[in-house]
Amino acid sequence: MTDLTMHLTTDEIELWAQGLLPASRAIHLADCSLCRVEADRERKVILELVQLPKFAPSAGFADRVMAQVKVPTPSGDWTA
Amino acid sequence: MAWAKQGHDAAFRELVRRYERPVFSLLYRMVRDRALAEDLAQETFIKVLNGIKSYRPEFKFSSWIFKIANNAAIDHLRRKSIDTLSLDGAPSAETPEQVRATSLQLGDRAESPLAEVENRELGTAIERAIARLRPEYRSCILLRHVEGFSYEEIAETLELPLGTVKTYIHRARNELRGYLEDRRD
Repeated sequence: MTDLTMHLTTDEIELWAQGLLPASRAIHLADCSLCRVEADRERKVILELVQLPKFAPSAGFADRVMAQVKVPTPSGDWTA
Repeated sequence: MAWAKQGHDAAFRELVRRYERPVFSLLYRMVRDRALAEDLAQETFIKVLNGIKSYRPEFKFSSWIFKIANNAAIDHLRRKSIDTLSLDGAPSAETPEQVRATSLQLGDRAESPLAEVENRELGTAIERAIARLRPEYRSCILLRHVEGFSYEEIAETLELPLGTVKTYIHRARNELRGYLEDRRD
């Protein structure tokens, strides 16, 4: 059982940012301005990170890879 | 995966298609050089696909491929920190030609079309803040928040103790907050 007055840990703040904080700890967060400030700052960074775009390599990347891979056949032979 | 292990060209291509963007993105953010990231991504896929028979299905495939990609990036960054370049050319350079040949050419790169793309893609405040993190912190934070790996999966992928992974991620987020808040001030 967690003490209701205990401040949130960094793990709990991450859970909160993901919407996964248990209700018992959310009660503390609602009452504690220190934790709310800390959690808000943490959430801003997490949000920026999860919204980062995925970059694509240049066109033909898969072909360049496959040209250098030895593809094993089901019979156990290898083709270039 | 089972199909790829049996040796099907189409299955190999599907694995490349599925992982090329996440693997390339991780490498690009680690080395911040498009051409180099692409070389390292290619090296990663060749190693993975040529070694597919040694893949152990009790591990997640994504953990295996990211482990190889991250090792490639870290190896490169270590080599780079040893081969320090000088703006004034190598100390051993004795003639003006040798000085020119061994000096770092900042202008060439800054003006190239590829560098413009890199500036556009990696020029945002959050990308520049990520670039300032230590490489180990960078890998952990990218796997956690960009790839959505659990702490346990990161520990397995990077072969680090779970406690170390948690510490790195918390420190990385703290540093990022500091960099981003400095920017806003």
